[in-house]
Amino acid sequence: MTRSYLLAGLLLGPSFLVAQQGTLTSPAAKPKQYVSFATEEHAVKAGKKSVIELHFKVGEGFHVNSHTPKSELLIPTNLTLKPAPDVTASAPEYSAGTAYSFSFEPNEKLDVYTGAFTVKVPVVAEAGSHTVDGVLRYQACDNAACYPPKSLPVEFVVNAK
Amino acid sequence: MVVGVALLLWAGWHNLRERRLAMQQARDKQVVLIPAKPDEAGGEAGSLPQMRGKTAPAFALTSLDGKKVSLADYKGRPVLVNFWATWCGPCKVEMPWFEEFRKQYAAQGFEILGLADDVDAGKDVIAKVAGKTGVTYPILLTDGKVQTAYGGLDVLPMSFYVDRNGVIVEQTAGLGSKDQIEANIKKTIASGSSTQAGGQ
Repeated sequence: MTRSYLLAGLLLGPSFLVAQQGTLTSPAAKPKQYVSFATEEHAVKAGKKSVIELHFKVGEGFHVNSHTPKSELLIPTNLTLKPAPDVTASAPEYSAGTAYSFSFEPNEKLDVYTGAFTVKVPVVAEAGSHTVDGVLRYQACDNAACYPPKSLPVEFVVNAK
Repeated sequence: MVVGVALLLWAGWHNLRERRLAMQQARDKQVVLIPAKPDEAGGEAGSLPQMRGKTAPAFALTSLDGKKVSLADYKGRPVLVNFWATWCGPCKVEMPWFEEFRKQYAAQGFEILGLADDVDAGKDVIAKVAGKTGVTYPILLTDGKVQTAYGGLDVLPMSFYVDRNGVIVEQTAGLGSKDQIEANIKKTIASGSSTQAGGQ
């Protein structure tokens, strides 16, 4: 299995880092993403149900709401996959979040992802190599500010033999 | 043999030097997140368009009770334009402070306009959340254009302190301290006072 952080590099890259700098002397690119995706090729058995693990990483110093935040006001992390020929994907399964509270609001319990988190996607694929596209929608905050909801493009390859 | 050992030592030293150099280069490129610091004027998180010293962009928006409210309605008064959203925790922390300061500085004509950045949440939800924070100042529903006019708003909360002359004297992003907010309000009230003396 070949793991590549190509997308992560493309999406986060310099703009992600520059955005965190905070004290810039010249106008810089605005932050594009607070979550990166490690795109991979997934080898599965043709015609058999397999579970693919998609690995995401939240930028250091940030958190995003989990798929099941504790308040209906909060925007959950959600993966949507586009229909792909010869690949049938079932509803994604999200890793559990961790409890988090802002220092200024210790009684308000949130359920968030920080660092790495995984989304599992059950798939059945016909023989061949298939590219699956999707979007991860999330909303990030750091310890003093929040950022408008973002959509992260997700693309991975399923090799079914 | 001596030559071999020397070569091995040299290779090891060269390898170590290269790794140190690479690490140093990586460190040089690295930047660390500096969240909005309460003790820094502005407390900006990330790169922000600089609006200080500029005339506050005009807007006319609908309030929660259906009235048309424009910034021009408050001409000659110091105004805090605060962008917030229902999903923004830090925003909801400072809103009660704003309410407190609004009352404290009412005699100086100070007013606050809360601009809800997430109109897709629905008016009822926005009203409910605003109500929970206890604010009584006007909450306005944004139209997508006002965010652009104020620089795009990539961070919330975002506040613009507009003096009596309609000039932005301070802008902040992220949650600041209560003291810093009050200092900004005082600065806004003081700004443009002399030109307005006797003109109110």
